[in-house]
Amino acid sequence: MAKPKVASVWLEACAGCHMSFLDMDERLVELFKNVELAYSPISDVKIIPEVTVGIIEGGLGNEEELHIAKTLRSKCEILIAWGDCAVNGGINCMRNFMKTEDVLKEAYTDTVTTVNPTGVLPHVDIPALLPNAIPVDRAVKVDVYVPGCPPDADTIAYVFNEILGGRSPKVPASMMRYD
Amino acid sequence: MSDKITMYIDGRECSGQKGDTILEVAKKNGIDSIPTLCWMKGLTSVGACRMCVVEPHGADGKPSGRMLTACTSPAEQGLHVSTATEKLVDYRRQVLELLFAGRNHFCMFCSQSGDCDLQTLAINHGMDSVRYPYLYSEFENDTTDDRLQIDHNRCVLCQRCVRTCSEKVGACTLGLKKRGWVTTVKADFGKDMGDSDTCVKCGACAQVCPTGTITLRELAYRGRRKNCDAVVDTICPICTAGCSIRVYVRTGSVVRVEGTNVDGPDGGQLCVKARFGLPKSTEQPRVTRPMIRVGSKFKESNWEEALELVGSKLKEGATSGEMGALISSIATDEELAVFASFKEAIGKIKTDSYESRVLRGFYRGIRPFSAQGVRPFTAAHNILSADVIVVMDATPQESMPIAASFIRVAVLHKGAKLIYVGSGKSPFTGITDVEVKDLSDPKVADIMKSAAKPIIILGKPLLRNHTFVTKALNFAVRNRAFFDDGLAIVPMLGHSNALGALNTVLADEPWIDTGEQDFLYVYSSGLVKESSLVLDSMSRAGFTVVQTPFLLPPMTNMADVILPAPAWFERSGHLCTLEGERRQVAKILPPIPGLKGFGEVMQILCDKMGVKMGVPSTSPCENVFTSKISPDQAKPVEV
Repeated sequence: MAKPKVASVWLEACAGCHMSFLDMDERLVELFKNVELAYSPISDVKIIPEVTVGIIEGGLGNEEELHIAKTLRSKCEILIAWGDCAVNGGINCMRNFMKTEDVLKEAYTDTVTTVNPTGVLPHVDIPALLPNAIPVDRAVKVDVYVPGCPPDADTIAYVFNEILGGRSPKVPASMMRYD
Repeated sequence: MSDKITMYIDGRECSGQKGDTILEVAKKNGIDSIPTLCWMKGLTSVGACRMCVVEPHGADGKPSGRMLTACTSPAEQGLHVSTATEKLVDYRRQVLELLFAGRNHFCMFCSQSGDCDLQTLAINHGMDSVRYPYLYSEFENDTTDDRLQIDHNRCVLCQRCVRTCSEKVGACTLGLKKRGWVTTVKADFGKDMGDSDTCVKCGACAQVCPTGTITLRELAYRGRRKNCDAVVDTICPICTAGCSIRVYVRTGSVVRVEGTNVDGPDGGQLCVKARFGLPKSTEQPRVTRPMIRVGSKFKESNWEEALELVGSKLKEGATSGEMGALISSIATDEELAVFASFKEAIGKIKTDSYESRVLRGFYRGIRPFSAQGVRPFTAAHNILSADVIVVMDATPQESMPIAASFIRVAVLHKGAKLIYVGSGKSPFTGITDVEVKDLSDPKVADIMKSAAKPIIILGKPLLRNHTFVTKALNFAVRNRAFFDDGLAIVPMLGHSNALGALNTVLADEPWIDTGEQDFLYVYSSGLVKESSLVLDSMSRAGFTVVQTPFLLPPMTNMADVILPAPAWFERSGHLCTLEGERRQVAKILPPIPGLKGFGEVMQILCDKMGVKMGVPSTSPCENVFTSKISPDQAKPVEV
């Protein structure tokens, strides 16, 4: 039987959840005996293939991220939201208190360390910002939530084990964290 | 008819009293399956958070689908309730999700994360996501106060702070402003904290806050409670009320001090001195090694050299000259006893205590009553059960803030009357019934006529004069002001072991005011500023030894020899409290290396003098806790 495929994407987040995933250490060897990582930020694959499990790290802040989230949802059977950004928006939500124009100005012209004498703002070359940074489940259906900033490697391993065992994982209180 | 009722919680038979709430019955019977958030032991229940809902059973014996808040619903005879049905758990999770969605509860950038009741509840309810859209509230932080700040965006409107401020502290500063989603916690009907006239800065609101809304600037981000290296329960070493405190230690320093005595009369509150003063005191520069004055500077020395010098000066003084020693009345019983036996061994040395004028006046004033076998004062918490409070020239908000809380609570919540007798203005603005200059004012007699349990608060200006003290005691006896433990007098003795100092080191006649000492030994706790009286006598002395934990000018500048001493967090021992108990203080941190305690230093000095330290003739806690005769037998005395 072919190994089940997993695709993970890194959206609006710091990559901490993927770091935590790598922190599974020697358990990764065991994991990859049973699953195939078909798409991820650390593999050079251009198009998301059809997979059993899709994983999203990060919230949704621009149109590209929204597009990737929708694409992954359509290509996977089980969608996991990894980490606080994907689950509840996380630190990206700090920009929800400002208008998007102000966010762009702050980033591209107003910051003290920025040198941008003509005041050029990104337009066609960079994906447009959504009005608010949102958690993944505001755009697509999420099957499994793994909160934490980042979730512990143990928690990530637990979730994989549950799925491989044919169960629908629910992070227990002992592993749950929001920071 | 019996007041006992029997009800069933999750099928278990539980007994309680009529008038108990369902939650109280559950707690009494050891059932802890009802989660709570806004409820707090000792505060009025308001049912604000809806976490404690339980499901009563219908006539068919099955959960009825109705929900009751356990903290406010009275228990009834024969009532059956379930505490953890699927419906209840789901409902509670929804409540939590609504709380998280309503304001900005993002744990990753909150100083309370890990110490937060809201977070713990959410985790325990398996809240792995929030199904409601976040509202992203945009309240401005209230950073106007210099000690605490309020982030309204993290508030769940549980009103624990509001109720504590009113019911425990009696300040009634905090309240809610506006309604619905825009409700915020405000001071004095809408002011920012920094502009409040009534706030006493005790920080109790921050201690009870279940989220990161009210935080103390100085103590935030210094470690979560559970990450602390040590948590020590001890007694506050500052004033003679002897409140219970819990001290949190992290990486060798005191990072947080909290009140613990929730079941006691103080309800777990702490005053500004303990909550902020104690952690702050640990940051003062320490005296780590003995130092000897050379000209206008100090040179670092060692114990042998320093004590040799002190010993030789002591010998000189013993043969020709005046010798005196001053000991802080924050010293423990054990230190006071050592000091008393040192005095008896040396013989010629005079001793006295800090705050000696107040203590001497008080001691002389109460002596005729002590001689009758009655305890001429009472525990401060008895203020709470008084119906008339006579404040005589006292400023309890400064000298014993917990007593000020008791007074406010007694007046505001228990209907006590407040009389202020004194030359100034009453410190209890707005709640003082009568302000008079003298006890003989007819307005006083008018109120005292109907008083059943009066209590008298004696301020420091009066304590200095023994005639005033005796007069106040006569007034108490004539007005039948007494409690079980003694006459209803609460003296505003500022220092924690003032009562122990009375028995051991207090001089009968004042000597520090006038005389010039050839040899003066000063033992300081470093917790209170030395009075000008102490400093004056130091400046007049021929040779001054200061043993102190902290390098605190101007006192240390006047020394000829400075010796290190254990700080309040490095010593154990006992304190004689006004509350009628000898309470134990615990060692919180290991002492700095090479430290010699007070007893050891005294022993070495006695050895150098060739005298032996014996058992002192009086012990610190003698005759300060109980009356030999019933207090109502006390007779007035001639003034």
